[in-house]
This record gives sequence, C-alpha cells and structure tokens, in this order.
Amino acid sequence: MTRGARSVVALWLALLAACGIWLARDLSVTTDLSAFLPPSATPTQRILLGQLRDGATARLVLIGLQGDSSAALAHTSMALARRLKASGLFAYVANGDSGTLRQEQAFLFEHRYVLSPAVRPERFSIEGLKAALAETYGLLGSPAGVLVRPTLSSDPTGEMRRILAQLTPGEGPDLRDGVWFSHDGRRALLVAQTRAPAFDALAQGRAVRAIQAAYAATRSGAGSLLLSGPGVFAARIHDTVESEIWRLSALGAVLVLGILYAVYRSAAMLAASFLPVVSGIVVGVTAVALGFGKVHGITLGFGVTLIGEAIDYPTYLFMQARAGEPLAVALARIRPTLNLAVLTTVFGALAMVFSGFAGLAQLGVLTVAGVATAGLTTRWVLPALVPVRLGSSVPGTPISVLSRAVKFAPRLRWVAAVLVIAAFGLVAWKHDRLWNDDISSLTPVSESSKQLDQSLRHELGAPSLRYLVLARGKSRQEALQASESAAGWLRDAVRKGWLAGFDVPSTYLPSMKTQQYRQAALPPREVLAGRLDAALADSPFRAGGFTPFLDAVARARSAPPLDVGSFAGTALAVKIDSQLFRNEDGWNALATLRGVEAPAELAREASRHGQEFIDLKAESNRLVSTYRDRALWCVALGLLGIFVLLCLTLRDARRAARVIAPILAAVALDVAILLLLGQTLSLFNLVALLLVVGVGLNYALFFDRRHADEDERARTQRSLLVCAATTLSAFGCLAVSRIPVLHEIGVTVALGAALSLLLAAVFAHRPEAGGSPV
Amino acid sequence: MTSGTKNIAKAAIALFAAIALRATASPEAIDAQGLMTMLASVESATASYVETRYSPLLKSPLVSRGTLSYRRPDRIEEHVESPRDERFVLQGDRLTIEDTSGNRSVTVNAGSAGGIAALIEGVRATRAGDLAALERDFHVAASGTQERWQLRLQPRTPALTKYVRGITISGSRARIQTIEVLEASGDRTVMEVRESLR
Repeated sequence: MTRGARSVVALWLALLAACGIWLARDLSVTTDLSAFLPPSATPTQRILLGQLRDGATARLVLIGLQGDSSAALAHTSMALARRLKASGLFAYVANGDSGTLRQEQAFLFEHRYVLSPAVRPERFSIEGLKAALAETYGLLGSPAGVLVRPTLSSDPTGEMRRILAQLTPGEGPDLRDGVWFSHDGRRALLVAQTRAPAFDALAQGRAVRAIQAAYAATRSGAGSLLLSGPGVFAARIHDTVESEIWRLSALGAVLVLGILYAVYRSAAMLAASFLPVVSGIVVGVTAVALGFGKVHGITLGFGVTLIGEAIDYPTYLFMQARAGEPLAVALARIRPTLNLAVLTTVFGALAMVFSGFAGLAQLGVLTVAGVATAGLTTRWVLPALVPVRLGSSVPGTPISVLSRAVKFAPRLRWVAAVLVIAAFGLVAWKHDRLWNDDISSLTPVSESSKQLDQSLRHELGAPSLRYLVLARGKSRQEALQASESAAGWLRDAVRKGWLAGFDVPSTYLPSMKTQQYRQAALPPREVLAGRLDAALADSPFRAGGFTPFLDAVARARSAPPLDVGSFAGTALAVKIDSQLFRNEDGWNALATLRGVEAPAELAREASRHGQEFIDLKAESNRLVSTYRDRALWCVALGLLGIFVLLCLTLRDARRAARVIAPILAAVALDVAILLLLGQTLSLFNLVALLLVVGVGLNYALFFDRRHADEDERARTQRSLLVCAATTLSAFGCLAVSRIPVLHEIGVTVALGAALSLLLAAVFAHRPEAGGSPV
Repeated sequence: MTSGTKNIAKAAIALFAAIALRATASPEAIDAQGLMTMLASVESATASYVETRYSPLLKSPLVSRGTLSYRRPDRIEEHVESPRDERFVLQGDRLTIEDTSGNRSVTVNAGSAGGIAALIEGVRATRAGDLAALERDFHVAASGTQERWQLRLQPRTPALTKYVRGITISGSRARIQTIEVLEASGDRTVMEVRESLR
C-alpha cells in the first residue's frame, strides 16, 4: 500500500468508526408517524395521527373466549381480567363484571345532581317534584320496582336513571354468569386498553403475549382465545414482516454472494464489493440522524433499498479489470461513467432533500449521503485496499453469445418502441386510477382476521375505528361546551338511526357552565324541604322518608365542581384523558361513534353545529396522496436535474436524451405490466421505481460508454449482466413473498431492472471505438 | 326355600310396593320434583293479577294490576296496566321492556337486566316446571300438598341477593295463586294471581 493509499484507508476507517460510535451511542429509530406530517397538515390530520398513535380506540384489544361451557368461560374471563389488571400493561381491563363497575357507579351516583341532564330549576319546583315522584311511583308498581326501591329515599327524582340512560349502549354485549358474552352466548368478551401507544409494535407484541400467557395460565381446559384490535394487528404484521424480510434477505444475500463469488473467484474481492454499500448506509444513516435528530423506521427501510444501487459500483470496477491488472488502471477507464452514475442518483434525490416534507427529506438525505459515500469508497478506498485484480478473470462466460445478443438487440427497436408507446398509452389512459392510497390494502391482515375484528367489535359494541366527531375549543371549557353541543345533535341522530350510539367526554365531565347551571338549579335545603312537603302532601308517599334526598342535594349544592382530577383512580379518568386533550391546535373533545350508518348526514350535521366529522380512513388516504403528489414532483424535478447534469457533462443533449429515454421507457413498461397484472400503485411502488431509475440509468450510462476496444466493451457488458443478475436475485426473492408490501417492491424492482437492461441494450447507440472516454 | 315362603315374599313385596305407590299419591306431602312435573303439564296460561306493595315509604300499600301470560316453552309476559302501562316480556334470554304510554321499547339480555329479569325468570321457570332453571338462580324448597303447595326460592347470585331476600310462590295443583317477594329494602310485595290454564 502506498502512503497515499494508507492515508485514504485511514481516513475512511476513521470516518466509519466515528459514524459507528456515534450511531451506537445516539441513534434513535422512531416509528412515530407524526414525523411524517406534512408542513401543510390540517388540524384534522394532526388528530388523525394522534389517534393512530395513541388514541383510546387504537389501543383497545378486543378479547374473545370460546369453545367451552358458559360457566367455564365466565370463570376464565374473571381470572383473565384479574391477571391482566395485575400485569400493569393495561390502562384498564373490562369484562362486564359488576365488581369492576361498582366504583364508577358509586362515583356517578355521588355526583348525580351535576351529571343528570334532567337537572333544571323546574325539576325542583313543587310541580316538578310531583311529576318526578309520580314517575317513580309508576316504576315502583312494576317489576322494575325492585331496582328503584333501594335508592328511593336518596334519589326519588331518579337522576341516576337519567345518567345511566345516556351511557347504556343499546346493543352492548350480554351479561351471563356476571360477565360479558356475545348474544349467542358462545363467546365471553373482554376489552383491554394498552398503556403502550398503538404504533409501538414491540410493546403491542408484549401486551399480546401477556394476554396469551395469562390465558394459558387461567384456561380451564377446552376453548380458545381470540384477539383483535389495531395493536394486535400491528404486532402480528411486525412479526410476519420482520421474519419474512430476514428470511428473504438472507436468501437474496446467499444468491448475490454466490453470483459474485462465481464471477470473482476471490473471497477478498467478494468482501470488498460490499464495502461501498455498507459505508454508504452507515454514513447515510448518520447524516439523517445528525440532520433530523431521529431516524424513522420507514426512512431506513426505503433508504437502504435506494442505496442498494451502490452494490453495483464495485461490480463495474472489478469486472472492468483484467486479472492481475491494478484496479487504479481499470478505474481510470470507467471513472467518468462511474462518476456520472453516482452523480445522477445524487441529483435525482436532491429534490427530495428540499421537498419540505420531513419524511421525503430524510429519504433524500439518506440517499444523497449514502450513494455519495458509496461512490467515493469505490473510487478511493477499493483501489487502495485491493490494489490488483485478484482471482481469475471470468472464465468461459459466453462472451460471443452475449455480444451477439447485444448486437442483435437494436433490431428490436421497432417492437420495443411500439410496446413502450402502448405502455405510455395505458398509463395515460389510467392516469386517474393508477394510485391506491389505502395503506391498509398493503398490510397483510387476512380477510378472516378482519372478519373476526368486525364480529368482536360488533358484539362488544366497541367504537368504530373509522369515524369520530371532533369538537374543538380554545380552552378545556370551550371544548367541553362544544362536546355538549355535539351530544345534543348526536342524540337526535341516534333516534334517526344514523348511528347506534356515541360517547362524549362531557357526559362524565360537563362543562363548568353546565355544572354551575345545574348547581344553581338546586334549591337551598329549607326551600327544597318545603317544596318536597308540598309535593308529598297529596302523593302516595309518606313525608319524612326522604331526608337522604335533602342531604344529597344540599351536598351537591356546595360541592366543588367536578374537574379532571375528580376522576383520579377510576376507569373514567382513562376515558376522559383519551377523549379530552390538548394539542397545538387547542383543546379537543372527541366523540367516539358506534354503528355508523349515515356518514354523509353526520358530516353535514357536524359542520352545521361547528364540529367536524372525521373519517380517519379518508383522512389517512388524503395524507398519503399528499405525500405521493409531492414525491412525484420531486421525482420529476430529479429527472430534470439528471437530464441537465447529463447535458452538461456529455455536452450533447441528444446523447443525454438517449441515456435517459430507455429508463423512462422501462419505467412506463414496468408500470404498464403492473397495471395489466391488476395492481394499483402505492408509495412503495414509487420508491421501488426510484431505485429502478437509479439502477437503470447506470445500465444506460455504461452501455453508452465509448470503449477503447471490443475487449473492453465485452467486459462492460459482462459487468452489466452481473449487476442485473444480482439485482434480479435480491429483489426476485422479495417478489415471491406473500406479504403485499414486499411482493410489490420485489416485482417492481426486478421487472424494472430487467426492462432497463433490455431497453438500454435495445436503444443503445453504438459509438465507434476510440471516441470520447465518457 | 319352599314355594310357601316364596309366596309370602311375593305378597310382602306387593304390599310394600302398594304402600310406596300410595305414599307418592298421598295428599299429604309434595317434593320439588313432583311439583315441577305437575306444573310442567301446562301448555299456556293467562292470568289477571293484583299486586300489593307494602312499604314504610308509602302512606298506603301500592296496588298495581295487570295480566300475566305464559306460553311454553320460554315466553312470559307481565303487562302492568296500572299505575302505569308497561309491558315486560321475557322470551328465551331476552327481556323486552315496553313503555306503552311513551311508545318506547328496549330489549336487553336477561343477565344485563339485573334483578328484574331474575324475578320474572323465577316465575317463568316455576310456571314451566323447570327445576334446573330455577336452581341456577335460587335455592329451591317445596312444601305442602298437591292441593295446597308452597315453593320457597332463595336467591343465590349476588346480582339478586342485592335486591331480594326471598320469594314464596304458592298454589294448588298446576295453578299458581300467590307470589310473595320479600325485598332487601324491607318492602314486601304480594301478587294475587287468577290463572286459567290450557
């Protein structure tokens, strides 16, 4: 090694070590989607991500127990609930057991005079009391009398009944043997709310395993456990995707290693060929972490895919060298082309860096820093580490067959041109149906899991994951007043059959204004006692039996109003916390909805009352399409940048067009084939197509290179073949995956790489030997 | 053994059998199973009733009137006509409460309806002669004769003991005559029933 080479290697090692140490100490990978909020995000979109992140509904785990006698299931349900509560992983666990509801019932009863919607001044007039007593008397003379009687002297006006009527879901689960059951009685039902946010797949996985372990410990023999909910899906997807990625990546790596070893016949060169891409990833991730503080999991996944192009750089170099030839000499031949290969990708990604969207910018920085590093490593470090081409030259590659094929390729120009024009036509014709922005269509949640989720959700009367009504205000009190207004029209909407039920925070925590109004409606003790005596005079009730009532009203009159702190320690605190919260847009009160039948009507009514009806699914699709539109602009700008770069370096606009045209054609054909296969495109396909552009441009550049002689041309062609083979094997492995995301990325890249190579060959100009070295 | 002793033995067995038979048919005593068998012979029943609630909170006992109707296997309806028109229908495990004056109706499952459904279930299971169903919610004890029997039901589930101390149903043959409920509050209700059976 020369001194120059030594210092290059030392510098490179120092940089890698610095990045490595920094990453090991400070790298924090986040999966929090709010990093991806576009700067133009609406308050609704912020609510959307907040809900996806740690909304109460998103953190619900729905649990079903079945396959045993109802007594045994009820027993397991009780034991399971006890264990889950003790685990500390859940904010609350409910199975319908009256013991768990007793505390909440006692709370509601204690505060009935500020919670009951019937509390008005008229209710405590002589006439109002008479009417309320008459109603209670009627109930006492029916089978319901047995329930009314115990609280008759403390709640003769039946305020607790009014409160419960607001809460009782019409079609909730049944109670059997003291716990919740489905209507057919075959399934015991529980709900648990995780403390961990919904997006945290690892923590959700822990919660799921805790439930399974608790069930295994409490089950009574026969029977099975059913689990559903967003967190359960997240955990399951995480597990399947992760194991699949490892499996297929390992398979791909073995294939790539096999191909490269077969070509190089040298372990040292095999190892060296991974150095640029690994250095690129390390430096790229460090750059993102330095620039953004945190690295997002999605950026990592996509970014590493994009840097994947760099695995080709050493191939171009090594394949160019003859056996025993110094790499520096081979490098001198291809340097201009290799520089362009790196620079085009860097230019293409620059638009993303300046997109203003955090997610895209991270991806851009990762690609720019990663690819540049890989290029520099190939250019400076590899020749220093491996001064001379080791191993044997590629033996017996059917060079003649290959070069004949390449010579023949241009004859297919017309066929290819027709196909490409047809592809562009198809894409243009379908331009408004190209994209599928429903991210959930890519997640591997099976149809049977979706059905189970629906049936458990229906049986439990659990709130819809999709719809919400948002009532906002500048202060907590304003938000609560808005929530009360929402409750008003939602009650009407339930009567009209637009939805089955709803749940608003103001039911438990009325606004200060309402509480004060209700407190003011309560007469002073002596006044109330006088009116009660008058009302009792010609009623069937005996005077003197209602002292607990007078006491309770007197207490309620002077009690401090309820605030958030009043609920500490009850399950209601969890509920209020998750449905009444502050964010950068002010205070938000969320109404969760059940059994939504008429979303359009609800949306209209909400906006009429100054609230918002949120369709989380439509909103998330809108968010995705915002991103996709911005990403498409970036791609267009990037392509323009690449074209300008090519024009400047090649000093020939026609040649620049000739390099870039086959890639655009390959992308069009790739998209057309995907469409013909019945697929629609997602953000994942877009990222895959970006990689196709990066890889394909390199193919076109190397095809377009001017070669000193036929031997050199043959070596270039062989290097292209090896590059394409490695890309095809790595992404072909992903293409066999059953998981839609992986499958789509795999198919798109493998197809695109093959098409790029073919079309680059077909449309390659064959400049005479001995021209410009570029 | 001689043929003579054999005959004596046969005669003795016949005598014991006769005594045993006579015992079950005797008007003196009845057990829960026997009572149930008798009640189970009824296909459907309709009745008018008068219920009186004795409560320290009331100036005079509250008298309510209405009708009861039962149809095998699992439907019972209590229609309160006064003081307030209301209908309680327990069919299978679903309880429907219909406020005929307010035109509102809710259906819940029996378990969710707390004490109401368990009380109605007590009457229905008695009417159906379904001892197993009765024993799910109550400790059951029968006494009296076929002509004049009494069934004492003591709640065994916490959901019911919270409201009810005991129920005593009495009747004659397949006919229910009174249903008396002692509530946990100390109130007592007595329902006088006039049944016609089919």
